[in-house]
Amino acid sequence: MNRRTFWGFTIPSVGVMLVLMVFPLVTTIWFSLHRLKIDDIDNPTWLGLENYRELLSDEQFWAAFRFTLIFVLITVPVHMIFGLGVALVLDKVTRGRAIYMAALLLPFIVTPVVGTVIYKDLFERGGLLAWVYELIRDTPFVVTKGNVKWLIIIQQVWHVMPFSLITFFAGLQTLPTERSEAAAIDGANYWRNLWHVVLPHLRVLLLFVALISIMDAYRVYDSVFVFAGDRFTEAHTLQVYNVEQVLDPNIGRLGKGYAIAVLNIVGIFVVLVPFLWKSYKDQIAERH
Amino acid sequence: MRFFKTSSRHITLGLLVIWSVLPFAWAIQSSIKFTRDVARKEPVLWGYETTSSAYNKFWLDSDEINMLHVLVFIVTFGVIAALIGYVGKLVSTPANERSGRGLAAAAVVAGVFFVWKIVPIITEPRTADNNNAVALLSVLLIVLLVIAVLLIRTGPSKVTTVLGTGVLGFMLVCLARVIQIYLGERDQWSLWETESSLWGAVGVVLTVLTFIVGPILLGVGMLRNRDQSWPWFVSVGLWLGMALWWFPRVFAVDDKFDYFVNSIIVTVLTMLISISIGVLAGYALARYSGVSGAVILIVALAFRALPRTAFVLPYYFAAQKLGILDSRLVIVMALVAVNQPFTIWMFRTFFMDVPKEMEEAAMMDGATRFEAFRKIIIPIMWPGIIATSLFTLLLAYNEFLFVRVLAPTNWTLPVAIVSLTAGESSRALTEAAAASVSITLPIVVVIILFQKHLVKGLGAGAVKG
Repeated sequence: MNRRTFWGFTIPSVGVMLVLMVFPLVTTIWFSLHRLKIDDIDNPTWLGLENYRELLSDEQFWAAFRFTLIFVLITVPVHMIFGLGVALVLDKVTRGRAIYMAALLLPFIVTPVVGTVIYKDLFERGGLLAWVYELIRDTPFVVTKGNVKWLIIIQQVWHVMPFSLITFFAGLQTLPTERSEAAAIDGANYWRNLWHVVLPHLRVLLLFVALISIMDAYRVYDSVFVFAGDRFTEAHTLQVYNVEQVLDPNIGRLGKGYAIAVLNIVGIFVVLVPFLWKSYKDQIAERH
Repeated sequence: MRFFKTSSRHITLGLLVIWSVLPFAWAIQSSIKFTRDVARKEPVLWGYETTSSAYNKFWLDSDEINMLHVLVFIVTFGVIAALIGYVGKLVSTPANERSGRGLAAAAVVAGVFFVWKIVPIITEPRTADNNNAVALLSVLLIVLLVIAVLLIRTGPSKVTTVLGTGVLGFMLVCLARVIQIYLGERDQWSLWETESSLWGAVGVVLTVLTFIVGPILLGVGMLRNRDQSWPWFVSVGLWLGMALWWFPRVFAVDDKFDYFVNSIIVTVLTMLISISIGVLAGYALARYSGVSGAVILIVALAFRALPRTAFVLPYYFAAQKLGILDSRLVIVMALVAVNQPFTIWMFRTFFMDVPKEMEEAAMMDGATRFEAFRKIIIPIMWPGIIATSLFTLLLAYNEFLFVRVLAPTNWTLPVAIVSLTAGESSRALTEAAAASVSITLPIVVVIILFQKHLVKGLGAGAVKG
């Protein structure tokens, strides 16, 4: 394919990305250096790095940062191990596999907002799990500052586990059975087989799922917003904090919101740049 | 021992299924209870009347009609539409297939435009400042007239002729009304009285079906003898969309159906645009060996990683400046943009599996690159297109943040459910459950229909990526 045809084919898509992704990013960086109120967007005033200085000394920002970090560090490994375990069990089952798959897929495809609303309802007064808790502990279950973060984390695991399940399941399907059989003849038990045969086979997938999950967990918004709302501001992640600084009618600071967005981008890129560099190398290598 | 092992696996999976579906089951059971008393600590598992009142409350907010009316309405609509489509299938012959295809396309465009722009105008009282609309209406009526005439001419049998004449007659009536309005003899736009009564509704439905939906479905039905499934999807989609769009107008109920329709419009448009530009780029990226291809892919990957908030704030700013805040257009644009990176990566993966020789052979025979792409590559790419479309569908239907920020009132369903059911009262809780179930149902249906494609798509994207 020559150069002209290539650009002919890609120009609609690249054009959309240039206008609607690159350009917005440039304005984000530019206006993060300004004071800009949401109800008066026509009059930005130059501030320099003032927005950033203010953020770095803002206790609420650091609280959001800490919770985001905890959120990512707990949910990503837990749902990956969980998903891998389920995939290993599902791989051995043939009867009713489609039904199990459909049911297990449900939390992943449901609208995140709806998933959170119905999950939250289990813990409200008169909800099923709140009632079970009360039967056992004999005190009413109340969602508090202390446990709301854990509920959000469990909800996230519930929501994304099917993703790693499907991916690992697809990976297990491509594992040649001879290898496991050979390992079994050599006297390897289940765990040694898992460690020496199955996991190395899934190595690329593990990396892929980890990468995608880190991105997605880092930018989680819907479920945290619905769960924490205005009631539990300490359970806000960076994204929720970011949007609230802009949309809250009492704050309404678009300039500060832009500054948080820039810090968010920097944050995710610290993690991602090595991977991006590696995929770039791979792409170039593939071409020669 | 073997039996024990198998059954223990099934027990494990059964427990996992419970963990997965428990919230759904709970939502279903609490949505059909008459009320949930928040002062009581026990869950309402029994002892309360089972009713659809929460669904009525959320969707209709009316005492006179209930969800049964909705069902009757949709089913009636569907049965009649299916009959018309079947007639279309009966009358179609290979000879008129081509004209039938063009006709169907024209009628779909005209019909969508009619419903989108014109019906809101003619069902509302006229104001001084919508004279432009009158002009618009006249132009559109002329277009529809042409279609009607074509329908009569290409009609292979009496049935199409009769229907085409029907359309023609209806259009003439509309035109007469428009002229009357021009002349200032009428100041009321209503072509029919929209009353909140069942019989008035039936009248409207019959009119609309015979004169607007009918011809469209007829054209679509003419395509059904071809061995393809898309005309089927078009007619089912049309039927559901029309039924849902008409329902609140006919019965004059609350506007949640509008949120539903918004959701459908945003989802379908996002899918169409992002798939059609993404498939081109994905193909080129799979075939081109220059460095710029690699750069585009990596930049796209980087964009895929960025948080949504980095985009939603500039979009808000730009939309505010351009005055297009709160429109479906801005939501669709935003969704298409953030979905592009994923789409081109996914398509690229699928296209890498298609051997180059396929289109090269066609190009040897004198076809251009684009012709070869359209005629040779696209037909074998349907599984990949369906898989990618499914993910786009999920993304657009589920989107919350963009709609919340960019559309303060023109919500889609996810925002509607959060905004309308936030509250601690027992009514809000049952309503939230009813809303959740209603919103999830379409997704579940789609996924059950296409589960294979979804799983394959996830697997394919992952195993190679």
